[in-house]
Amino acid sequence: MSLADFQSNYFQLFDLPVDFAVDLAQLGARYRQLQKELHPDRYAGASAHEQRLAVQYSALINEAYTTLRKPLSRVLYLLELSGMTSKDIAEQHIDGGFLIMQMELREKLESMEGLIDPETVLEHLVTEISEDIMALQKQFSRAYAAGEMSAAASACVKMQYLDKLLQEAEQIESRLIDR
Amino acid sequence: MALLHIAEPGQSPLPHQVKRAIGIDLGTTNSLVATVRGGRPIVLPDESGEVMLPSVVNYTNAGAPLVGLRALALAAQHPADTLMSVKRFMGRGSKDASNDARRSHYRLAEGEEGLVRFVTSSGELSPVEVSADILRVLRQRALATLGGEVDGAVITVPAYFDEAQRQATKDAATLAGLRVLRLMNEPTAAAVAYGLDNAEKGVIAVYDLGGGTFDISILRLHKGVFEVLATGGDTALGGDDLDASLADWVLQQCGAPALVAGQYRQLQAAARAAKERLSDELAVDIDLTGVLPSGGSIHVTRETFERLILPLVKRTLRSCRRCLRDAQLQTGIDNIVMVGGSTRVPLVREAVADFFQCLPLIDIDPDQVVALGAAIQADMLVGNRPEGDLLLLDVIPLSLGIETMGGLVEKIVPRNTTIPVSRAQEFTTYKDGQTALALHIVQGEREMVSDCRSLAHFELRGIPPMVAGAARIRVTFQVDADGLLNVAAREEITGSQSSITVKPSFGLSDDQITSMLQASFSHAAEDKLARQLAEQRLAAWQLLEGLKSALATDGDALLSAGEREEIVAQMTALQALLEGVDADAIRRQTERLGRQSEAFATRRMDRSIRDALAGVSLDALDDKVSQ
Repeated sequence: MSLADFQSNYFQLFDLPVDFAVDLAQLGARYRQLQKELHPDRYAGASAHEQRLAVQYSALINEAYTTLRKPLSRVLYLLELSGMTSKDIAEQHIDGGFLIMQMELREKLESMEGLIDPETVLEHLVTEISEDIMALQKQFSRAYAAGEMSAAASACVKMQYLDKLLQEAEQIESRLIDR
Repeated sequence: MALLHIAEPGQSPLPHQVKRAIGIDLGTTNSLVATVRGGRPIVLPDESGEVMLPSVVNYTNAGAPLVGLRALALAAQHPADTLMSVKRFMGRGSKDASNDARRSHYRLAEGEEGLVRFVTSSGELSPVEVSADILRVLRQRALATLGGEVDGAVITVPAYFDEAQRQATKDAATLAGLRVLRLMNEPTAAAVAYGLDNAEKGVIAVYDLGGGTFDISILRLHKGVFEVLATGGDTALGGDDLDASLADWVLQQCGAPALVAGQYRQLQAAARAAKERLSDELAVDIDLTGVLPSGGSIHVTRETFERLILPLVKRTLRSCRRCLRDAQLQTGIDNIVMVGGSTRVPLVREAVADFFQCLPLIDIDPDQVVALGAAIQADMLVGNRPEGDLLLLDVIPLSLGIETMGGLVEKIVPRNTTIPVSRAQEFTTYKDGQTALALHIVQGEREMVSDCRSLAHFELRGIPPMVAGAARIRVTFQVDADGLLNVAAREEITGSQSSITVKPSFGLSDDQITSMLQASFSHAAEDKLARQLAEQRLAAWQLLEGLKSALATDGDALLSAGEREEIVAQMTALQALLEGVDADAIRRQTERLGRQSEAFATRRMDRSIRDALAGVSLDALDDKVSQ
């Protein structure tokens, strides 16, 4: 196994089946095992060449681990493995109902800071968005398993929209903390 | 097959034995050095038994600078020559630093690239040079105690230090003649010091209120692997600020008299002493004789002190809240580690316990815990713990990004990403025939470039003229295990390349370091050539030792007879050169051997990966059973 094999498939690296469902305990255990062998700390006394290699391998293991750990990046990676480009994914048709719902959520977020008890409202909103994301993950998982790649990609785009909303909610939360 | 004879006993530059590794806590107020002896970390005292070296340097006399208590004694008399809390100025531009300087009564000058310099009776000095003077004393202390030159050091930095501050710290250590094995984040070091004795699994929060900085880190410990989940903090808030708030209150109570430079320092020292006593007593009297023009004394209750510092403590808790959120924990905190003398203040302990719903660990001295953890890591890195039972996976504290159109920042590596990390991004030209592309690299969380820290301006030239949008420029950002950034750019169609280690905006160039090194060596009356020879010999010896053991374990499996002979021939040649005194020839042969053995090194790495992949199943199984 070499650097190139390593890059070819992150699932293989962690001895996991190529699927949306991932055993996080196994992923974590294997991640720690790989880093124990390949982290630059293991090569502090080695030649400059070995040290450079260790940085590259270790960075790649980190990248692979991060990609598979988070559902959204895992979904994007699965689509990429199945041959879709980011352009293909971005061009998916999104139904009007979802776009309207998404805009309403955004409006709620933007009017947040004028409220009397913004923390509670924000918490409700975050819970609502998180539940929607969970539902989309299920949708993706079903479509992916059935080989309906267009439906899978469309679920992925919706997840991206909602993830962005979550990030904005976090920024608002952090501003509320600093008040 | 003939065994390669590397060195006669007693002739090898370093005998085959436990290597001398040290951990250094280069603090704002105090610095310490520690080592591991008999498997346990210990701090090293000076000849009078003092463990803590005040991070103070006096430059009144042009000869050798005074460091520590002797410098501190001159602080009131020569305020502008006695540099304290220099860590606050590391890697900072004179603009950011002027507020701190006003309070400390330093005279500042602007050095190259807008870097801050102190004006003293012995000339202008950079924070890097002053820090190197402190590190030199600690290195000497270790050398005397351990009975020989130090093989390697781990230097700690606040987790929240940015790129420029880290680079400045590494430069200072190099300048002091130390081989830096790793820069280690202070909270991580503290967790390691505790982790060895405590639970082998769990989530640890480290609350580190140092003299000048505040750090909070959340880590997960799992069978010797410390994984930092999130880190945060405030580089402009520390225990000094608790002292200052009390000092300011005293001034106000006394009708705000005008003070001369040395007097404010004395007042701060008195406030600091009062803070320490208020940890055990409910009220104290501060003696102001010789401190304030009015003299006399003033009564302070713990309650008053707590009221004064409450806003500062709350500020630290805000950072804790953000860090907790970043860590995205599903469970609570199992342990809190307290670091820094100011965590002895009862209000701080109570507030932290209340916030995390967990009692803080205090059985290791909060002033020593960082140096002890650094010593453990140094011991591991230098190769004294071959079982390799400890691994730290740290994160980058602040996002790295580049400037895009309209002065906006595009984030390339978000904060709390585990290091080492490598990320690539593609860019293109926006004008027909454009042959150069300027990149501006920044660090920080804000959206506007002007609100972030500028790290480097970097230009890729020689792009072949094409129509706008046709060129494909791939820029790779790599952050190593020290948290230091390396940027490389490549035009994909023609292969034109460019690469830098991010230093130019702040910090020192390699040439500057070399010339400073040379200056400091001649200053220390050391023979530069002898020093170079010693360094080259050490490098050669390390390579030979490494190869010898690599050949013994993997030589048969991974090398053909011919390849092995080539390597052995080069090793023998290097070994022969080591008998002589030609540093340059040793360096050239070391490089030749390094290149010769690159393929072998690569095969060994690949083998490690195969082993890692094969050995993992059992461990994973073990893990599932224990959950």
